[in-house]
Amino acid sequence: MSSDDAPVPPGDGPTGGPPGGAAGIVVTGVRRVFGDVVAVDDISLVARPGEVTALIGPNGAGKTTLMLMLATLLVPDRGAITIDGIDPVTDPRAVRRRIGWMPDGFGTWDALTVREVLHTIGAAYDLPAAEARARTEEVLAQVHLGDLADRRARVLSRGQKQRLGMARALLHRPTTLILDEPASGLDPRSRIELRDLLRSLAAAGTTVLVSSHILTELQEMADRAVIVAGGRTIETQAVDGAPRALRTWRIAAQDRTRLVEALDAAAVVWRAAGTTVDVDLAGDDEAAELLAGLAGSGARVTAYAPVHGAMEAAYLAATEERR
Amino acid sequence: MSRKRLWTVARLELVQRVRTSRWPVVLGAWVVVIGLVTFAAWWAVRTTDVASGPSLYDVTTFFVLMLGMLIVPSLTATTVNGDREHGVLATMQTTLVTSWELVLGKLLASWLVAMCFLATALPFLAWAWAAGGIGFGRILLSLLVLTVVLAVVAAVGLMFSSLTARPVASAVLTYLSLATLVVGTLIAFLLAAVIMTEEVTVTVRGVPDSYWSAEVTPPLDEPQPGLPSEGFIPQPTEDDCTTFTRRQSVAHTERLWPLLALNPFVVVADAAPSRTSESSTFGGGFTPMRWISDGSRDARHGAGDLDAVVDECGDVIARTEAESEDTQRQRDVADRERRDENAVWPWGLGFLVALGVGSVLVAERRVRTPVRRLPSGTRIA
Repeated sequence: MSSDDAPVPPGDGPTGGPPGGAAGIVVTGVRRVFGDVVAVDDISLVARPGEVTALIGPNGAGKTTLMLMLATLLVPDRGAITIDGIDPVTDPRAVRRRIGWMPDGFGTWDALTVREVLHTIGAAYDLPAAEARARTEEVLAQVHLGDLADRRARVLSRGQKQRLGMARALLHRPTTLILDEPASGLDPRSRIELRDLLRSLAAAGTTVLVSSHILTELQEMADRAVIVAGGRTIETQAVDGAPRALRTWRIAAQDRTRLVEALDAAAVVWRAAGTTVDVDLAGDDEAAELLAGLAGSGARVTAYAPVHGAMEAAYLAATEERR
Repeated sequence: MSRKRLWTVARLELVQRVRTSRWPVVLGAWVVVIGLVTFAAWWAVRTTDVASGPSLYDVTTFFVLMLGMLIVPSLTATTVNGDREHGVLATMQTTLVTSWELVLGKLLASWLVAMCFLATALPFLAWAWAAGGIGFGRILLSLLVLTVVLAVVAAVGLMFSSLTARPVASAVLTYLSLATLVVGTLIAFLLAAVIMTEEVTVTVRGVPDSYWSAEVTPPLDEPQPGLPSEGFIPQPTEDDCTTFTRRQSVAHTERLWPLLALNPFVVVADAAPSRTSESSTFGGGFTPMRWISDGSRDARHGAGDLDAVVDECGDVIARTEAESEDTQRQRDVADRERRDENAVWPWGLGFLVALGVGSVLVAERRVRTPVRRLPSGTRIA
């Protein structure tokens, strides 16, 4: 029996520190090829403990492949990965203790009940039976699946299965969460609950890496965004830095002529968009200054809002040239 | 290796099987079919003067093996790729469960199910034992071999389920492999035996063919008591035997017997064949296991020493009944000793065990993560 088989605390918990090296997820120049297809070309990112890091990118950008490498399922062809300082290739079992992975489209054993699925996972993580039972009830409450605990997993809706997948990822108290499209299939209330759950876990010190196509939600949830496209890292930015990004604002006014005159006077380039006008502004400060100017112009502004959310704008700008 | 995690995987498999398939129905049908077959075998031999126990036992054991080879692959041949298709294999692979625990747990579950089927056949084997003519040791040995063979069958299914992406493909490949072992080896043996048959010259001591045509006694003019009224050929005596050569066909089965040893039915039959009071192969009634055993052991012995003189004299010369019986007894004892020295089942069992171990090794390699090279057409999750 190797030392890995010795009973260990079921996950070190969010407060468990790395055995050596950097805490959280560090990906450096990773590449992975399947035959002729380059799924991941050159991705680098850092996801820190206590933060929610969003991994965003178009379909086929390499997000899921990267997450499979982080989940100790695939070996990168090139580059390096560490999770809490541990290389998932050389010591996958140590990494597995620390990570909670939720794949896109969580599959489950149809014949088992929700509770049995989690008991089985607990046993697979060496949790003592009593602790597995207790933890099961805790995570069922966290993901609001308590009422469905004795239902067969096969009768769950897609959203309920996603919540079960989340419960499975949390069961052994991982220090790092790797979540592939966790909000997919969730109803609005469940999405809000997921957002709050991830924020609370991050606040407790967990490293959270989450991929999603729903950028508005990521903006509310994430501290940092890593934009990938074509298998490469395009941009990494703090989400609170997004308001400084260039984005399009849409303005509606009762007097459109005066609005256009005011924009010309302020030397702002504008585009007609139906009865409204679009302008490109470099950040929220510039938008606030323009709004103050328009207020005194007599244009009688009725609507003034960005066309895209800050993260959407950053994403669109970053991926525009790759289209 | 952790026993707890191993059992977690096995238990998961068992629960899945019991809840998702019509398992009780299959088990019930199994019991009914085996019961009918055993009853039919008993009915067929009940009025004959041969011991019915060995007949019942042989028929039931073979039937259990045949049905086992049909049912067990359905348990394992879809277990890995089926899990992958349902997206649950990767879920387990990212826990502390190792690839060995995953593979052995699945194998254990399938083997336990096979043992359940075997256990339900035990009452019928007990019936055969009660009918007499079978030793308890024989039952134990053949059950042990049967148990190992079914585990090997499960391992082969497991291997193919790890090698192919589609459950249908692995099920077909598993059944094809088993058909190759059961039918293919037999066909290959027969074809090869024909191909490897050669004409050889053997030295024979016996009554030459010319004796039977040239020594016809002409009819006697007057009938004499004790002699036929028409012509006859007198029974040859020792003095009529000569040494001569003859061309005859010889199949070199001693070079081909390993083909038979690969056959699971031969392995099970040869491990504990019937031993009735009759010493000749076909003298003990309907005992297919004995027929197969003697046939395969004779095949292993082959043509024997072709340079030795073949003594046929004793078969044709005049003897008393007591002398003939004594000669036959000596010949049967010699045959039995020869067959005892040419057991086939240890080699066959060795091969099957190696096949099973190899299958498990392949399966373990295929579920090991992290994966460096992903076979084309397969997804990791």
